[in-house]
Amino acid sequence: MRSVGFSLLALCMTVSVVANAYYQKKQFYPSVVYITKSNPSMAVIYLQAFICVLLAGRVMRKVFFGQLRTTEFEHLMERSWYAITETCLAFTVFRDDFNPKFVSLFTLLLFLKSFHWLAEDRVDYMERSPVISYIFHLRVMALLLLLGSLDIYFVEHAYQLTVSKGASVQLVFGFEYAILFTMVINIIIKYTLYTVDLHSETPWDNKAVFLLYTELVMGLIKVILYIAFMFIMVRIYTLPLFALRPMYYTIRNFKKAFNDVILSRRAIHNMNTLYPDATLEELQAGDNVCIICREEMTVASKKLPCNHIFHASCLRSWFQRQQTCPTCRLNILRTPTAEQRPDPQRAPRPAVPNLRNVNFNIPNPFLMLNNNLRQQAAGLINQQQQQPQMPGGIPVPQPNLAGHHGIPPPGMIPFIPVPPIRFMQPPPMPPPNLSNLSPEQLRRMEGRERENVEARIQWLRNIQLMLDAANMMFQQYNTAAAISMSMQNNMAERADATPGTSSAGTSTSTQASPPTASSEPSEGGPSASASASSTPSVATSSATASSVSASSVATSAPVAASTSSASAAGSLTPPVVNSATDAAAASSSSVHNVKESMPSPSRNITVPVDKKSVNISEDISSSTHCPETVGKVSDTCPTTSKTLEPADISSSSSQQPGASSSTEESSPKTGDMEVRRRRLEKFQ
Amino acid sequence: MAGSAVRRLLAEYKQLTLNPPEGIIAGPIDEDNFFEWEALITGPEGTCFEGGVFPAKLIFPRDYPLSPPKMQFTCEMFHPNIYSDGRVCISILHAPGDDPMGYESSAERWSPVQSVEKILLSVVSMLAEPNDESGANVDAAKMWRENRDEFNKIAERIVRRTLGIPA
Repeated sequence: MRSVGFSLLALCMTVSVVANAYYQKKQFYPSVVYITKSNPSMAVIYLQAFICVLLAGRVMRKVFFGQLRTTEFEHLMERSWYAITETCLAFTVFRDDFNPKFVSLFTLLLFLKSFHWLAEDRVDYMERSPVISYIFHLRVMALLLLLGSLDIYFVEHAYQLTVSKGASVQLVFGFEYAILFTMVINIIIKYTLYTVDLHSETPWDNKAVFLLYTELVMGLIKVILYIAFMFIMVRIYTLPLFALRPMYYTIRNFKKAFNDVILSRRAIHNMNTLYPDATLEELQAGDNVCIICREEMTVASKKLPCNHIFHASCLRSWFQRQQTCPTCRLNILRTPTAEQRPDPQRAPRPAVPNLRNVNFNIPNPFLMLNNNLRQQAAGLINQQQQQPQMPGGIPVPQPNLAGHHGIPPPGMIPFIPVPPIRFMQPPPMPPPNLSNLSPEQLRRMEGRERENVEARIQWLRNIQLMLDAANMMFQQYNTAAAISMSMQNNMAERADATPGTSSAGTSTSTQASPPTASSEPSEGGPSASASASSTPSVATSSATASSVSASSVATSAPVAASTSSASAAGSLTPPVVNSATDAAAASSSSVHNVKESMPSPSRNITVPVDKKSVNISEDISSSTHCPETVGKVSDTCPTTSKTLEPADISSSSSQQPGASSSTEESSPKTGDMEVRRRRLEKFQ
Repeated sequence: MAGSAVRRLLAEYKQLTLNPPEGIIAGPIDEDNFFEWEALITGPEGTCFEGGVFPAKLIFPRDYPLSPPKMQFTCEMFHPNIYSDGRVCISILHAPGDDPMGYESSAERWSPVQSVEKILLSVVSMLAEPNDESGANVDAAKMWRENRDEFNKIAERIVRRTLGIPA
């Protein structure tokens, strides 16, 4: 209403001025001269022209935009004020050629600029509006065509003028229109993208990507234009203050677009390569509505490291803004992904049941990282294992640990936030800070520990079983020797032969120790040594069995030492009863076998028990042992049972030479063995 | 295919219409333009704003829900977290990155998980418990801290005005 009043007032004033001039001069030409000479009349004329421009603007706006929306109007006002101030600043630079033409050119520039802004806002509105009419398309296309051709025309015009007449204010216009032309191109690209999106049935994922790159390229072009303009202006005139603000904003926008492109590319790359697609079960398990678009997720959804699931396309557009999880704000660029982190579910589990398949020699950094605790146990084994592996001859298959544990190849290592120094530490490593671990991890570590301990206990039991077997053999041998002795005695009595020498001869053949005949005073010695030989070893084995945390090597070593000391004790006292030392030798040899096979328990529990002794122990004393483990042990170590065979043979063959021991001694000795056996069972 | 913002706003509109939270009504002013909503919020019970019905306007950006909407009360308001022109200043309406008051952690900022319903519920709780630290309206914050009776009196006057009862 007010604007109508103003325009009417202006019209009245113009009419009165013109009428006054014509009334005074009566002719057209003199009246025009009169008006141009008179400043008040010119002011009125200028005012009228300004109002005409505004009216033209209104008409054009009605034609091309219809009713302006509030936000559009606000934008227009805001930008107009900046533009007007900057134009005034530009006047100061070009104050020499300040004339009406100059002012009108600037007004035209402002006029066209405002239409560019409006066109931009209107095209942006396309994405917001649910319905786009044909008239909208027609208007936008006509407007863009008009603005584009006007821009090109003015750029061309400015270029021609500058080339023909040298640098002038046309430089500014040419540059301004060039900027406006990039804007038109930008709007056209956006318009095309939106139109394609509107006409496609499904949401068009790549639109955001195109928009991002358009922004980047246009930003770059604008920055180049501004810098060139600044350079030329500084060379010819002075620093163009009026261009500083838009230049600053342009550079800032460009920087932002550049950062956006970089960050979103990284995040989207992460998303495409590292994050798994959500499976159908995961989608069906919970509420399968994508929290970003509130639509159901059926296909093409991704799971972030924090287990939140979104549409891949929604995530992509979100990552172009922020690289965090929309739900829990986990910064996905700083967080190692599920594969890079030691996955609690996947990594250590297969290692435990397949102890015999895992070679601890491989210095896998992930194992060091994840399984600190297992390493502590493995570290000792590791050191010991290196020796038997070379002569052992059994090629240990080198399992592909990477595949085994679901750990990515070392190419991914840089993402792990642990400094690589840790990998260089020699095993065993200090235990990890337990307070840092989640309850689940603790449970897992504990479970592994328990399994290790159980395995060790199993080995110790097998050692004990073996010793039992040796003991049984000893006993058997004793009884057999006693029987044969009595038989031989009977024979000797009957045949009147010299048994001492013959038995001595056979005993020398089986034992390297000097053969002494069955003399009364030395009888206490061997039995005592035998008891001394067997009990301490059993005692140590049971002691080690009770000391759970001791490593397997530590247990096997004392056993071997005790048995060897036992055999030493046996050999120290002249073995009148060869069977005792024989058995001790057999047990010590078997224990030596243990010692040799112990260092590689990771691949096998090789406890040398020959089948016979196993059978015996199963029959007699295996009530405390689980028979299946014994069977397994004997099954899995045919080589060691074979190595035991000679001892077995020697013990059986020495049944004959054992005749040297007298029948009187055999009965108390067996009684002694019974006591020891009972003690042993008690230990078990 | 309309833009994803329109589809999401449609979904939220449907949700709000089918299961309206207590004391809150919201919807687009004009169904041709889903980016401008009007909301009516009742003052929370037991507070100085009890009984009032406060109209507000929600303006959604075209990249909603990636960017937060703007909310502005269209009636007179006197509250520490509401600017004198009615704009609401709460952290979930700020995108991480802009922080007009410099006190908000990014954890309480806008994210696509938020919705119109959550915004309006946050505003209701903001009415009940003003945050006098942020101080969009310094006078109101000062009065809230130092002269609660006076504040309650002004609030009551505003409530009466929103109901059309002469003070």
